[in-house]
Amino acid sequence: MDIRRVAVLGAGRLGRGIAECAASKGYDVVLFSQGAGGQDALRRIEKSLDRKLAKWAITESEKRLILGRISYTLDLKELSKADLLVEATIDHFYTKQELLRTADHLCRPEVVFLSTTSTLRVSELARGINRTDLLVGLHFIPPVPNVPVAELVRGSQTDERAVEIAKQFATRLGKQVVEIHESPGLVNPRTLLALVNEAAYLIDEGVCNAQQADKIIRESWGMSQGPLEMADRLGLDLVLNWMEQMQDAFGQRYAPCPLIRRYVRERRLGVKTRLGFLAYTDDDALKTDSESEQEGKRED
Amino acid sequence: MNIFVLNCGSSSVKYKLYDMKNEKVLADGRVERIGQDNAVITHQPAGRDKVSKTMPILEHTTAIRESLNLLTHPEHGVLKSVEEIDAVGHRVVHGGESFSDSVLINERTKDILDSLASLAPLHNPANVTGIRAAEKIMPNVPQVAVFDTAFHSTIPPYAFLYAIPYSVYQRHKVRRYGFHGTSHKYVSQRAAELMGRDIADLKIISCHLGNGASIAAVHGGKSVDTSMGFTPLEGLMMGTRSGDIDPGAIFYIMKQEQLNLHEIDSMLNKHSGLYGIAGVSDMRDIERDIANDDKLAKLAYEMYEYRIRKYVGAYVAAMNGVDAIVFTAGIGENTPSLRTALCANLSYLGIEIDEEKNKIRGEDVEISTPDSKVKVFVIPTDEELVIARDTMKIV
Repeated sequence: MDIRRVAVLGAGRLGRGIAECAASKGYDVVLFSQGAGGQDALRRIEKSLDRKLAKWAITESEKRLILGRISYTLDLKELSKADLLVEATIDHFYTKQELLRTADHLCRPEVVFLSTTSTLRVSELARGINRTDLLVGLHFIPPVPNVPVAELVRGSQTDERAVEIAKQFATRLGKQVVEIHESPGLVNPRTLLALVNEAAYLIDEGVCNAQQADKIIRESWGMSQGPLEMADRLGLDLVLNWMEQMQDAFGQRYAPCPLIRRYVRERRLGVKTRLGFLAYTDDDALKTDSESEQEGKRED
Repeated sequence: MNIFVLNCGSSSVKYKLYDMKNEKVLADGRVERIGQDNAVITHQPAGRDKVSKTMPILEHTTAIRESLNLLTHPEHGVLKSVEEIDAVGHRVVHGGESFSDSVLINERTKDILDSLASLAPLHNPANVTGIRAAEKIMPNVPQVAVFDTAFHSTIPPYAFLYAIPYSVYQRHKVRRYGFHGTSHKYVSQRAAELMGRDIADLKIISCHLGNGASIAAVHGGKSVDTSMGFTPLEGLMMGTRSGDIDPGAIFYIMKQEQLNLHEIDSMLNKHSGLYGIAGVSDMRDIERDIANDDKLAKLAYEMYEYRIRKYVGAYVAAMNGVDAIVFTAGIGENTPSLRTALCANLSYLGIEIDEEKNKIRGEDVEISTPDSKVKVFVIPTDEELVIARDTMKIV
């Protein structure tokens, strides 16, 4: 089947990133979001494209073309027109399964479903739908347009054909696909969470501040962002949610550092609240080390 | 002999059908927006009305099949059946070091072409897709690949090598390849014909000035140097491409602007050149803005002319003289003021322009005066005809 129209369920950072990336590779994308986040998602995709334009990565006409390929709707009936479905909602088992079940009724039976879940098992998610053989785990890593790798897992009943379609889609999006075995947290989130948690302990113990921890890790390992900035960009509530799920799966070694719990309790959630481990401007840019430190202290 | 010439891009197919008895174009056309529901196919039978229709065309095989349907259509067609096509000539952008001339396509050719994809990732895969699609539809018709790079295969190593570690050339074949070869070949041969001289005795500088632009030094009918290099980014200032730039400046810009490889590549290819300086990439817009006293448009124009002048001077030196300079392609053919400005700055070569002839458009014309020491021509390029001729020669 020729895939031209991709439905993306979820307009959070991951869903927006997948939508932007797919549209820039020529797919028509319909973005679904429950609630009022959809219009905001389109605005944020435009903002992301504007940042690319400012860095000469795309032209004005390419920006218009990409935006023209993305539409947003609240009406799930539109799913009947999709050739491929990408589920990119938050990792809550019952919410996700319910949404997949609805999509299962509305999409054509041959349509492959990709789930971006990183902490839930594809085999378990597949139990709630009829197309158990057509569900593939494909974990894109945010920021999706910039990260050139994706993790693929198959469930116990996933069909080879569905895996091939998932691989073709990810490859067209410019991702190297690495297939691994099904396990909560996969490789990227699991190792990132360990790193974030350990860095949080370092701060909590007063060994260093967030800026220092991020700078040492970032510069010594040649990363474009430190783990604490990555956590802030994901959202500390999401990070905490993942850690709790990982703790359920693997025990105490993933028990979240109390500092992360405190930040979430104080609604200090990262980029979306302008303050997490570090501080951010209204344009989502990282503030300078001294500004960040000042704001952190003020809140502490 | 009827030859069907195909130029396949990633989402377009251009075609031309020649009757090679008299090199007459029987029909030409193009399919655009391949992969979409609203692909547009435009077909022009010679001497008759143009036909255009919009339809879903999802891949190249369908695009070529639809083109052939129009060529054999009872009302708009020029052939009774596809059987009347004797050969297909394909434009292929990059032949690497493997192809120094046009070739008959077989399995081995296709394998080599697949391996060359990384040298021209935007063009070669689409060209090969077109070859496979045409083979599927016309399995018994010989297919020929004609390369943009082939004409430049005669450039000597001292001109095609970059002064970087030789092992980089050995490992990755990083060297000057040059592009627009079929155009440089056509216009230099045509200039020799117009001069009534054997091309083997001539030194010609050919200026292909389109949205992409390159200059070639053609000595004795062979390319001995050209301004485009490993990629079509090197050399002249272009519509949106920078042309020559100090590589050190690239590293500095990347550091200062925090750019990654994709961003700097896009900046140099899509945001530079005339567009980068003046905000418009079309020479007609530059001329309009100059008329409105736009200083940056004037600067862009001066930079554009100066860069060409430098290359002409370099190639006069490379060949130890020049007999003719040829202008072709969109800007080369349609911007008399640029030719005037350029030739005024080449008066040391004894070049004189006849301003009346310089205004003539759409035909082969010698624009230099009879006394001019170097002949100057405007020759509309015809790359498809070169492809058709090469195809006929091979089959």
